[in-house]
Amino acid sequence: MHGWIGKILRVDLGTGKITTEALKPDLARDYIGARGLGTKYMYDEVDPTVDPLSPANKLIFASGPMTGTFAPSAGRYDVVTKGPLTGTIAASNSGGAWGPELKYAGYDMLILEGRAAKPVYLWIQDDKVEIRDAAHLWGKDVPETTEALNEETAADAKIACIGPAGEKLSYIASIMNDMQRAAGRTGVGAVMGSKNLKAVVVRGTGAVTVADKEAFLAAVAKASTMIKEHPVGGTGLRLYGTNVLVNILNSVGGLPTGNFQDGHFPTADKVGGETLAANQLQRPKGCFSCIISCGRATKVTNPKYKGEGEGPEYETAWGFGPDCRIDDLDAVIKANYYCNEYGLDTISMGGTVACAMELFHRGIITRDDTEGLELDFGNADAMVEAVRLTGLGQGFGKKLALGSYRLASLYGHPELSMTVKKQEMPAYDPRAVQGIGLNYATNNRGGCHVRGYTISPEVLGVPVKVDKDSIDGKAELVALFQNLTAALDSSGSCLFATFGIGAPEFAELMTALTGFAYTGDSFIEAGERIWNLERLWNLKAGLTAADDTLPPRLLNEPIVTGPSKGAVSRLPEMLPLYYGARGWDAQGVPTKEKLSALALA
Amino acid sequence: MKVSYFALLREATKKRSEIWERPAPTVRDLLRDLVAEYGPNFARWILKDGELAGFAIILVNGQDVRGLQGLDTPLTPDSDVFIFPPLAGG
Amino acid sequence: MSMMLMIHPDKCTGCRNCELACSMEHEGSFRPKASRVHVYTWEREGFSVPMMCQQCKDPACVAVCMPKAMHRNPANGQVELDADKCIGCKMCVQACPFGCASWDFQGLQILKCDTCDGAPSCAAICPTHALEWVEDTVSAQARKRSFAAKLKNAFAEV
Repeated sequence: MHGWIGKILRVDLGTGKITTEALKPDLARDYIGARGLGTKYMYDEVDPTVDPLSPANKLIFASGPMTGTFAPSAGRYDVVTKGPLTGTIAASNSGGAWGPELKYAGYDMLILEGRAAKPVYLWIQDDKVEIRDAAHLWGKDVPETTEALNEETAADAKIACIGPAGEKLSYIASIMNDMQRAAGRTGVGAVMGSKNLKAVVVRGTGAVTVADKEAFLAAVAKASTMIKEHPVGGTGLRLYGTNVLVNILNSVGGLPTGNFQDGHFPTADKVGGETLAANQLQRPKGCFSCIISCGRATKVTNPKYKGEGEGPEYETAWGFGPDCRIDDLDAVIKANYYCNEYGLDTISMGGTVACAMELFHRGIITRDDTEGLELDFGNADAMVEAVRLTGLGQGFGKKLALGSYRLASLYGHPELSMTVKKQEMPAYDPRAVQGIGLNYATNNRGGCHVRGYTISPEVLGVPVKVDKDSIDGKAELVALFQNLTAALDSSGSCLFATFGIGAPEFAELMTALTGFAYTGDSFIEAGERIWNLERLWNLKAGLTAADDTLPPRLLNEPIVTGPSKGAVSRLPEMLPLYYGARGWDAQGVPTKEKLSALALA
Repeated sequence: MKVSYFALLREATKKRSEIWERPAPTVRDLLRDLVAEYGPNFARWILKDGELAGFAIILVNGQDVRGLQGLDTPLTPDSDVFIFPPLAGG
Repeated sequence: MSMMLMIHPDKCTGCRNCELACSMEHEGSFRPKASRVHVYTWEREGFSVPMMCQQCKDPACVAVCMPKAMHRNPANGQVELDADKCIGCKMCVQACPFGCASWDFQGLQILKCDTCDGAPSCAAICPTHALEWVEDTVSAQARKRSFAAKLKNAFAEV
């Protein structure tokens, strides 16, 4: 095979059995790779009602066909499993160089099964695969673990690992690779922790091959030029990172503030991308094969929050900033560093602290509950300390580690958790931007922006501007974005490549690379197939149409200040239209016709 | 009126915001004067052949002019204008 | 005027597109371990440096090469490897102070930058111009030497 390696590595951590098997070409063609292919294997092999933290759950690391090539900004992989935070199928996507290294070692996917009796790590050198003792690494943070493993395996090995948060089974734990990149969402780090697996270390010496070299080089040249010359993809992201969005979202009144009590934060500029570029930014960073370089190598010199590392992204700056009514960027970055070091998802962590602050502000919890922490809105020191405690699983951090839904439920107020399917929503207020609310509500992994990023047309005007306050056409728009994203995630591409190229260019790249003929339409159809398969999994896991909703606050409590004052989400009007646009019945169940059209019946 | 600048436009104007005194009945008039003031480094992100380039974001009192009357959107001395170059994130 | 590859580590984002372009150019596939350029990244500091043959004035690899496979081409001033003469003794691998000659265990060959015969694919693909193919002027050489010296010291400390 070309693009794909054609081989899967399977490791049973319980028995120590290590096997390889061939990747079936027709499955590869239809589910592409990464998120799609991983989901297909989960669907075929794992009961969706499985306890996510039990040995019966599987943990799949899956690259895409474009991963490891120089297709622009396409070096990504997904961690696919049942997510403990959401109870849904989870695919958590990450960049860096780990995914490509897995392919150079000779595997498209790594399927981990069972549970090791004691802490272990996996050391993959091409076809030599060992399960090694990790007792000396347990308890170490991500940078320490990464450096120790590079020392004892190979200096150029690539490492994906968990920090203390994953070891302690936090529902918001991430898996970190290359020290600074995160497969953050849905609590995948806890699944790795539940398997007593500290790290997967990979070094590969092999190749990714191309079906039609000349055509691939031409398709890459074309796609790269389109991204570089696009006014959005070409310059802005390298200069300011994703955090440039703080000011625009705030300016349209769509920056959730104070745990989504409001949609506007007067001093938001102090935590925005311009401020970051002027102060803490050291240099832009790029993931493997990236030509955009939105990553931020940063340094904080303020002694109180001193450190260096990567971040923040926009969602992180928002979560620890405006959502907590905090405008101290140094504190925000320190919280980000703690998340990277201890292995926590920054979006869920930010949303959970914001929720705790509202509980505290309302007197639902007190200093007795927080063990002395004055966890009120605006308290930057308390926010940073709360993140540290969560990462280490100490004090009140043990409760924060549950995520905001379980935290708020402990105190009888689940309605104060700003989550969809128990996962914290990101940094775009669904009351101010209607389409993104429909995407959150219907997203197969709960509150998530990247799988249907309608902010692009609704706020940024890319590729065309649509009215963010209108619900017209939003059902179709959301479904299309979800389908395209499912396909490009599965290819190994970064979502940001779409700030320049679309389905026809992805199809050209895929065709030249793999030798299978894709068209723009068939590429998007593969995405639709993947989306529907994820939906089928979730329905079998016990989720229903009742879970396709937003927190009541967003449906009933209007935004208080700013340009979107008075707005609420019109989700109830959009949801039936969305089911219709998807070819699902009124209960959100894919119809027989739809499933057979997608070859899923 | 108050005009605020973001991202690369802060580089082009060396300002975060300013009170713009010259009368400008529409967004078109304002942009014409701003281009004259700040030159090509300002214009290149906003206009293409004298029209809005499409991806630049101009808000008048929090509303995107692409949903109002575009370059013909009326302004008053009380208007609060935000100008963003093309940008993205996620 | 001869040409040289100039490295600007301050512009390097660590994306490794140069390694991919190099392996595609020389091997016809994406195999970074067969690349003649390698990007070294310090993750804690977020700092990356691309390294390839520095075309030294007094090349250690040439001095140690018994069969004279490694030699300076007088026509373009570049240090080149004549693969037909190479006996695979790997003395050049040991001699290079920058680790820029390496042994490919799969292809059983010495990997060393050949500047793609005067059109280096790494510089062509680099999205931030951290690698540039520039005229070999006195000032460019001085800049490169001072950087190489810094780098040598940095590696010596490790």
